[in-house]
Amino acid sequence: MLELHNIYKSFSERSRPVLNGVNLKLEKEEFCVLIGDNGSGKSTLIKSISGEHFPDSGLITLNGQNITYLPIHKRAKLISTVSQDINKGTVQSMTLFENLSLSYLRNKNASYACYQKHKEQLTEKIECLGLKNYIDMPMSTLSGGQQQIIATIMATLSTPALLLLDEHCSALDPKASENLMKYTTKIIERLSITTLMITHNLNDAIRYGNRLIKMQDGKIVLDVKGNDKKNLTAQQLYDLFNNDKGRHNDSDLF
Amino acid sequence: MILIFSELMTTGLLQGLILGIVALGVTIPFRFLNLPDLTCDGAYPLGGALCTSLIISGVNPFLATLLASVAGGVLGMGTAFVHLRFKINTLLAGIILTAMTYSVNLRMMGKPNLALFGNVTLFSNFQDEILFKIFVLSFINIVIIGLLLRYCLSEKGLRFRAVGLNHEFSKKQGIHLSLYIFLGLFVGNALCSFAGCLMVQIQEYVDIGMGTGIVIHALAAVMIGESIMGSQTIQRQIIAPLIGAILYQQIQGFAISLGLPPSDLKFITGAIVLFAICYTLPKKPFARKRCLSETTSLSSQDKYFFDKPRPFSSKETEHE
Repeated sequence: MLELHNIYKSFSERSRPVLNGVNLKLEKEEFCVLIGDNGSGKSTLIKSISGEHFPDSGLITLNGQNITYLPIHKRAKLISTVSQDINKGTVQSMTLFENLSLSYLRNKNASYACYQKHKEQLTEKIECLGLKNYIDMPMSTLSGGQQQIIATIMATLSTPALLLLDEHCSALDPKASENLMKYTTKIIERLSITTLMITHNLNDAIRYGNRLIKMQDGKIVLDVKGNDKKNLTAQQLYDLFNNDKGRHNDSDLF
Repeated sequence: MILIFSELMTTGLLQGLILGIVALGVTIPFRFLNLPDLTCDGAYPLGGALCTSLIISGVNPFLATLLASVAGGVLGMGTAFVHLRFKINTLLAGIILTAMTYSVNLRMMGKPNLALFGNVTLFSNFQDEILFKIFVLSFINIVIIGLLLRYCLSEKGLRFRAVGLNHEFSKKQGIHLSLYIFLGLFVGNALCSFAGCLMVQIQEYVDIGMGTGIVIHALAAVMIGESIMGSQTIQRQIIAPLIGAILYQQIQGFAISLGLPPSDLKFITGAIVLFAICYTLPKKPFARKRCLSETTSLSSQDKYFFDKPRPFSSKETEHE
């Protein structure tokens, strides 16, 4: 599915590379959680995959297609991102319906036909959220939690091959964050989308996903899959985080 | 004074209808793409100069107008290219290309001014019928506004608008930004150039200094139009430049009819434009107050809205 080979990336010649030889292989329909300290290169990795940064060297393939230097607008047909920054996920001054229409058209060719024709279909998508009355209101009239749910719906509207979630819950209060996480998992399971999610919430990292990887100093230092991931407890993970004496291997944990 | 003003009104209307096209051409990059563009200052005289040269050399006036308009559009694409390829600010790119166009215009015309008297132009049969010209220009304006409105309501138009509002977002929605920037600057400057063609054919001569600072007049027209019409909806945003342009020309006519010496004209016009823009300012605090009271009444009366079982409840926390 998604394969990364020896990804290197640095922002200046003097500092050490932010991504220092990352190798990762995601299987189809895998829901992978990515954790790590600030500055460990998580966001840079996600941005290299989504096309916001190009890596200095290395190879990124998606379904066998080399996407390492594919421009972002072409990549958008395969990959969609939800980030912490709501301004990157929606157009605040456009209405809810216009935002949904734009995402609906993401991997299609836009025609000269009126975009109003998608209205019924798209209204249905948000009916279950009770936001039907907001369909013609500007995005900015919705609350942060509602906007982030809409952004998540938008990212999955024209089913992407890969979904990237870059701390998409972290700007929300705990309750809204939990709701959004549940909702996201529901969509991912229903559409069986391969997902890579960054989170700082270790409880979320335990509870969601069927694979967990940890990054440190631009490298992947921990990779837990399958039953090991299921049996992982929060305590084990906390210990791991508090113990920052250099690198970790799977053997440290088990 | 009123007599002079009423005499000037028809001429003002005619010029307003032409300025309306320019103002619309400026609005497209300025408001829709969020790229302030000054190329219009070059496209307008380019249209005039090229159209005149072509007509004098015996080209059909319809074809001449079409070619000159396209030439203006290509100039706009030049600005887009310089901006996108060399990462030069659009304002600077526009100024550079405008300066270069001046020499090109002079080369095409051969001398600083040319007259079209005696040549077949779009309006040569109706030179004295000002009302007919106003009718034709109104029709052209309506067609352009109609087409643009239809485009903005299409799927492509939706993408076009998104490009101006949020670059980052648009890229992530699979939108090819450069394509829409090229398109926007082409259409905007083609309209400016088209207005230049109409102007030279109506006044039957072209001067190398024609249209210097037209972009300022067009922007003033856009501002006036927006302060009257507002810019909340796409319809208002598209109609505003025309309304503003007509009013702006009437303001100029009014300033002339005050009987002041011509040298004072610019000052008076500027003052009146300032007044027209600022006049709408006191409305804003009121509007805001009304909005606030509306939202508070909404949150209190809309109790049932929050009582309903809702899938997530961040809205409440926000109101606290």
